Amino acid sequence: MKYKLLLAGSLAAIGFISLMVSSVNAREAERVELATAPIVAEASKNKSEEWSRYYPRQYSSWKKTKEGDEIKDMLKDKSQLAILWAGYGFSKDYNAPRGHYYALQDNVNSLRTGDPVDAKSGPMPTACWTCKSPDVPRIIERDGELEYFTGKWAKYGSEIVNSIGCADCHDNKTGVLSVRRPHLDRALISAGLPTFADSTHQEKRNLVCAQCHVEYYFKKTEWTDKDGVAKVAKVVTLPWANGLTAEGAEKYYNDIGFSDWTHKLSKTPMLKTQHPGYELFKTGIHAQKGVSCADCHMPYTQEGAVKYSDHQLQNPLNTMDRSCMTCHRESEKTLEEIVHRKYERKDQLHELAMDNLAKAHLETAKAMEAGASDEELKAIREHIRSGQWKWDYAVASHPAFFHAPEETLRLLAVANESAMNARLGLVAVLAKHGVTDYIAPDFSTKEKAQKLSGVPLENLVAAKLKFKATLEQEWYKTAVKNGNLNMESRKDVDVKSSFYR
Amino acid sequence: MKNMSALQKIAIFAFLVAIGFAIYLIITAKAFSYLSKDPKACINCHVMNTSYATWQHSSHAQRATCVECHLPTDGVVNKYMAKARDGFNHTVAFTLNTYDHAMRISDDGAKRVQANCISCHNSVTSTIGANADKYHNFDDASGVENGRKCWSCHRDVPHGRVRGITTVPNNLGVKEVK
Repeated sequence: MKYKLLLAGSLAAIGFISLMVSSVNAREAERVELATAPIVAEASKNKSEEWSRYYPRQYSSWKKTKEGDEIKDMLKDKSQLAILWAGYGFSKDYNAPRGHYYALQDNVNSLRTGDPVDAKSGPMPTACWTCKSPDVPRIIERDGELEYFTGKWAKYGSEIVNSIGCADCHDNKTGVLSVRRPHLDRALISAGLPTFADSTHQEKRNLVCAQCHVEYYFKKTEWTDKDGVAKVAKVVTLPWANGLTAEGAEKYYNDIGFSDWTHKLSKTPMLKTQHPGYELFKTGIHAQKGVSCADCHMPYTQEGAVKYSDHQLQNPLNTMDRSCMTCHRESEKTLEEIVHRKYERKDQLHELAMDNLAKAHLETAKAMEAGASDEELKAIREHIRSGQWKWDYAVASHPAFFHAPEETLRLLAVANESAMNARLGLVAVLAKHGVTDYIAPDFSTKEKAQKLSGVPLENLVAAKLKFKATLEQEWYKTAVKNGNLNMESRKDVDVKSSFYR
Repeated sequence: MKNMSALQKIAIFAFLVAIGFAIYLIITAKAFSYLSKDPKACINCHVMNTSYATWQHSSHAQRATCVECHLPTDGVVNKYMAKARDGFNHTVAFTLNTYDHAMRISDDGAKRVQANCISCHNSVTSTIGANADKYHNFDDASGVENGRKCWSCHRDVPHGRVRGITTVPNNLGVKEVK
C-alpha cells in the first residue's frame, strides 16, 4: 500500500513538475526574445527605411532632418571666400551644410564634384563619398578599403545612393553604436587615444560623429591589387599624430610637405581645412564637462510613455527646452543672447581675417606681375599658408564659435596676425618693384570675387545640369535594379541647390 | 532488493525520477537566486524589467536594493515569510498569466515599503511624526503616516510616474538582461 502511494505521489509530482518546467522554459524563451534587439537584415541595412519597422520613432525623427533644407550660399554670404580659394573647387560652389537627409544629394549637386560622363571621368576621387552614405562601409567591406579609395568619384555613383543613416552609427544586429569607417580608429591610435571599442559609451556618442565631423586629407597610398596591378589610393586620413590641434595638424602637413592646391592668384601652396568640429568641440567647456554631441544635438525626448533620443540632428537652439534647459537655469532668451554675442564676436574677427588674407593673395599676385621672385615671396607665402590654415580651422566647422569660443577667437587672431605680417612684407616687396599705390580690387560680391579668381560659373552650371539629366539618372536606375536603392527614399531630396530653384 | 516486488521497484524508481525532476526544476527556475538580495533575481522574469530599469536609473539605485524597500526589514523570520508569500503569489500569477500590464503594489506590499521609507529617512520622518498633530488631516492625526503614503506626494520615487511592463520613460533597457 505504502509503495502504491509512493508511486502515485511520485507520478503526480513528475507530471506537475513537468508542467512547471515547460512553463519556466517557455517563459525563459519569452524573456530572451524580449531582451533581444530586433535584427535588421544584413543585405538591406544600408537602406534606412528598412530600420523603420523596428525603430519607428528614431527613423521618423531622422527623416525630419529633411526640414533643414535651407540653401545658404556661403560664397554670397562671404564673398572673400572665392578669392581665398581661387584655383580650388570651393571657389566654384560652397553652401552651409543642410540636414543629413540631403548630405548625399548635396555632394552630387555641388559644382565641386563636376560633371563626369562615365565612371572614369570627373575631377574628384572616390574619397569624396566617404562621409555621405552607409553604402561606403558596405563597399569598403566588399571591395577592400584600398580598392574603395582608388579611382574617380563617378566610379561608385550607382553604388552610393543612400544618404547618411542608421547603419552609419549603429550595428544592425544589436542597435548599439558602431563605427565601420577604418580611418577613425587609425587616427585615434596615431593620437594615442583609446580606440572606438575601448572608449566609454559617452565618448562613443561623440566618436560616431567624429567619423566625419573632423579634419582630414586624402593620403596618397601606393598599393598592388591581387592581380598584381599597381594602383594609387587616396585614403581619408586624419592628421592627429601631433595632437588634435590646429598647430599639431599644421606641423603634420608641413612635415610631409603636403598642400591641397596651389593658389591661383598668389601661387602659394595652400592647405584647406575640412571641418574639425570634433577637435574644436573637445577644447570647449561643454566637452570638458563631459557633455557629448548627442546630449545637445540628439536630446532625449518623450512620446507618450516612450523615451528615445531625437535623431533630427539640428541646431540645438531649436530644441532648447530639451538640449539646454536640462542643465542651465537661465531663461532660454538669456542663453540665446549669450550664444548670439559669441557669434558676433567671432564674425567680426572672421571678416577681418578674411579681408586681410584675400588682400594678401591679390597683393602677392600684383608683386609677381611687377617682377617679384619666388625667393622674395617665400616668407610672405608661408605667412599666407599658415594664416589661412588657422582662419579656416576656426570657421570651417560652422558652429565652433559656440563649441569652443576661446580657441576660435585665438585662431582667428593668430590668422589675422599672419595675414598682416604677409601684407607688411608685401608693402616692402611691392615698393622695391616700384609699386607704391596698389589697392587690391573690389571683391565685395560673389560675382566680382569669382571673376577675379577666374571661375566660369555659367559653364560649370550648364555642365552640371547636363550631368544631372544623364549620368546621375542612370546611377539611380542601376541602383534600383541592384536592390541598393528605394526611390521613395529620395522623395523631394533634389529640389534645391545654389544654382537652381 | 531481491525481495522487492515489481511495484516496489517501479515506485522507488518513479520517486527517484521525481527527485531528479525537482532538482532540474530548481535549477531552471534559478530557485536559489531568490534566497539572495541581488536585484537581478527580480528580473529572472521579464515582467520586472521596467521596474528594474527605472530603479536602476534612480537615485535609490545607489542606496537601496529591491528587497531593502519591498520586504520587511525588522527580522529574518518576517522577511522570509514575506518572501515566501510573495514568491508563491508571483509564481501563480506568472504561471497562470493573471497579472496586468500596469501592475500595482498590494496593500501588504505598500505597508512594508512605507515602513522602510520611514525607517531609512528617519531624521525627516521623526520630525514629521513629532508635528503630526498640527497637520490638517484630522481623521488620522496619529504618527508619521497621517493617512497618506510617502509616494502620495513623492510620486516619481523611484520608479517614475508611468507604469507599464513593456516600456516606460527613463527606461533605456536593462543592460544586465542577456
